[in-house]
Amino acid sequence: MTRFIAKRLGLGLITLWLLSVLVFFGTQVLPGDVARRILGPFASPSAVNALNKQLGTDKSIFVQYLNWITGLFHGDLGTSVATRTSVSSIVFPALWHSAKLAILAFIIVVPLGILGGVVAALYEGRFRDRLISVGGLSATTVPEFVWSVVFILVFALWLGILPSTATAPPGSGFLTQIEYLVLPALCLVFVLFGYIARMARAGTIESLEADYTRTAVIKGLPYRTVVRRHVLRNSLLPTIAVVATQAGYLIGGLVAIELVFNYQGIGQVLYRAAIQKDFPVLQSAVLIVGVVYLVATLLADLAYSLLNPRIRFESSS
Amino acid sequence: MSDQRQRQVDAIRRHIGEVENDLVDELVAGRIDRREFLRRGSVLGLSLSSLGVLAGCAAPNVTRVSPPQTKPPKAGGTIRTGIVAPAAALDPIMISDEGGLAVLGQSAQYLVWSDKNLTLRPVLAESWTHDHTGRVWTFKIRRGVSFSDGTPMTAEDVAATFNRLSDPKVGSNALSNFDGVLSKGNTKAIDPYTAQFTLDAPNGNFPYLVSSDNYNSVVLPKNYDGGWDKTFLGTGPWKLESFTPNQGVSYGRNPRYWGQPTVAERSEVTFYAEEQAQTLGILGNQVDVVAHYSVSGGRALITNPDVRTTQFRSSSHRQIHMRTDKEPFADKRVRQAMALLLDRRALVNGLLATKSDYGNDSPFAPVFQSTNQSVRQRQLNVAMAKQLLEAAGKGAGFSTQLLTLTHFELPDLAQVVQNDVSVAGINLKLSILDPGSYYGSSKFGTSPWLDSTMGITDYGHRGVPNLLLTAPLSSKGPWNAAHFRNPQYDQLVAHYVAALDLGAQRAAAGKIQELLLDETPVMFPYFYYFLTGARLNVSGVETTAMGHVDLSRAGFA
Repeated sequence: MTRFIAKRLGLGLITLWLLSVLVFFGTQVLPGDVARRILGPFASPSAVNALNKQLGTDKSIFVQYLNWITGLFHGDLGTSVATRTSVSSIVFPALWHSAKLAILAFIIVVPLGILGGVVAALYEGRFRDRLISVGGLSATTVPEFVWSVVFILVFALWLGILPSTATAPPGSGFLTQIEYLVLPALCLVFVLFGYIARMARAGTIESLEADYTRTAVIKGLPYRTVVRRHVLRNSLLPTIAVVATQAGYLIGGLVAIELVFNYQGIGQVLYRAAIQKDFPVLQSAVLIVGVVYLVATLLADLAYSLLNPRIRFESSS
Repeated sequence: MSDQRQRQVDAIRRHIGEVENDLVDELVAGRIDRREFLRRGSVLGLSLSSLGVLAGCAAPNVTRVSPPQTKPPKAGGTIRTGIVAPAAALDPIMISDEGGLAVLGQSAQYLVWSDKNLTLRPVLAESWTHDHTGRVWTFKIRRGVSFSDGTPMTAEDVAATFNRLSDPKVGSNALSNFDGVLSKGNTKAIDPYTAQFTLDAPNGNFPYLVSSDNYNSVVLPKNYDGGWDKTFLGTGPWKLESFTPNQGVSYGRNPRYWGQPTVAERSEVTFYAEEQAQTLGILGNQVDVVAHYSVSGGRALITNPDVRTTQFRSSSHRQIHMRTDKEPFADKRVRQAMALLLDRRALVNGLLATKSDYGNDSPFAPVFQSTNQSVRQRQLNVAMAKQLLEAAGKGAGFSTQLLTLTHFELPDLAQVVQNDVSVAGINLKLSILDPGSYYGSSKFGTSPWLDSTMGITDYGHRGVPNLLLTAPLSSKGPWNAAHFRNPQYDQLVAHYVAALDLGAQRAAAGKIQELLLDETPVMFPYFYYFLTGARLNVSGVETTAMGHVDLSRAGFA
């Protein structure tokens, strides 16, 4: 197992380095000049040149990459060219905001999705199955920003029971923060439920038709025990993979939701950095999202191997 | 007029200059109204008391409109305002966006405030005068003012502020405004409360360049060396409580403020990355005020019964340039035809929900006092457009590219223009870029904006048309996307800029307007209004078309 983890970590580090190269040089091809972007199109050329010199963006991109990567090894993510504050003071609070929203969404959608999938599988082909499968899939196909606007209109503007923004006032308590996060989390539940439920349904159906389930039923185990002990454990394997891949999306991919709810998560940080050509922030934020993806998939692999002994034994041998 | 009032008027007229007396004559003759008199008089430095007395000379048939009665707000409470998120670091010298200047104006102040009617009001300057050429301007600085850290503000701080802004090595965002107007070292403190500006050339509208219209020109301490976003240092009514980048700012009353204390006890400013979220914010009661919204992004607010919209004219507009040195627009008849095919009424009514003035293909917006209103308004005339195209050998139409950027209603405007000109067989192929790609380096040869055959560009508000007359239209203008070169035009603009009295400005403006109508290097379809939204229980919010929001008198009913 240790070897398995070490191997995955090594591959992860190589992936991150490749990502850093890709992100750095990829962002350089974005059109426009950094100082021009900050000062606006109508600023005088001398003002633009002076600012580029101040920011160090007049140096060659290789020197800039070297400076950035050296800083990373020293734990310094650099300084935002747009806000002139440290990148870590922008990225880490945003990461925490995104994590809070992702955790709340996960707490709601994972049990709900698994339960929905299992119920659909147990009633395969019947009304409940169709309701869950078609309903979940339909909800998934609606873009998240549409759900955002619909929920704000209904719950914030018409009913007036929830806030239209996701950012709680400074110093808010735990419950107030939850109250502010409910609507964006609900949007995510609607978007993710269909995926998770479908995976759980497929896994459950496969397990229900497996020989070991038939044997357990024939030997006289109560049906609930069969489902709980033999079906669920096996049916969760594909679901875990789906949940893990959604973790990265929840941390870095919620640009639309974060913009509509004016929530300062990583998605909004990425969006603003791309618009402002704030490369230090953009590069670090992408790298952090990459780390989140890697950690999530590593944890998923570990969970997978714990639930499936074959993986454990293959990796050991 | 009573004898006593007449004596007062005569006494004032004996002490004011020739240019100021000409202005009073214009008022007496009924050629300008009271509002225009007050606006121009404020630029020339006439004191408020003198303006009040002299305004009594106005012809008796002048209509006076009372301002709408709103309940004065009660003291206390926290006023919550939504603004567009600042695009860059909050450095007064570098700020170039609406969000940034809105934050800047909460705790820092200008020598002069240019209000929504473009009338200048003294703030850190108590009064100002000019020499007979309009090249030397002297400002009396207010006494008893200190920065929020307790340091007294003097003329030395004023001189240091403007020398810093006009220094090419510093690279301030105000440089383009001061180019050819004010050079580094030419602002001097004559005594602790007198600052003098010696200009590169005479300029009749100079006070606008030290006003809130030149938004980088807040007065900072003479030893300022960056780091403003740590302190929000200034002489203004609000003092920083907390600032979270990309999120917002909280303010309390500045105990050292020289003026009246703020009505509300606190102010919270929330940053919005998207206008849609800002609209939902005020509708969902998350903010009390939306400092600025556009028709394209905030249409829902215009008719919402819970939100009161304040609107006023501005010089913000879109320019549709046509390359005068390149086919198919090298012949001015083709350019005239394009402008005649534009259905401005449909644009204003549809695209801008009537929240706009018509443009007349020159930078002279109706809001400018010097705009010559006698110049005829260009109207839709398809038959004449077809005749002109025929005469120019383009009767069968032509194809070219129309370039623009993803910014507010610009892509929609491009589609409307494409549709309007298609009736004459003109095929415009639309190319819509993101702002970074569109502006490129903003230098000729490497900027799609400046190199395109035809393009649509957004221009923000200015208090006077000076910069709009030079940078995008003069022969050496750095933003001359139409590549328009006309010595006669350059000469007329030089006359306009140097003119001190309103009559001379209007005469020069009329000639410029006629010349631009004839040449049509750029189409100016409309000048849109500045819109502010506030919840019904809020009053006392003052905004400017530049994007400033003064919350010092704002509060709840």
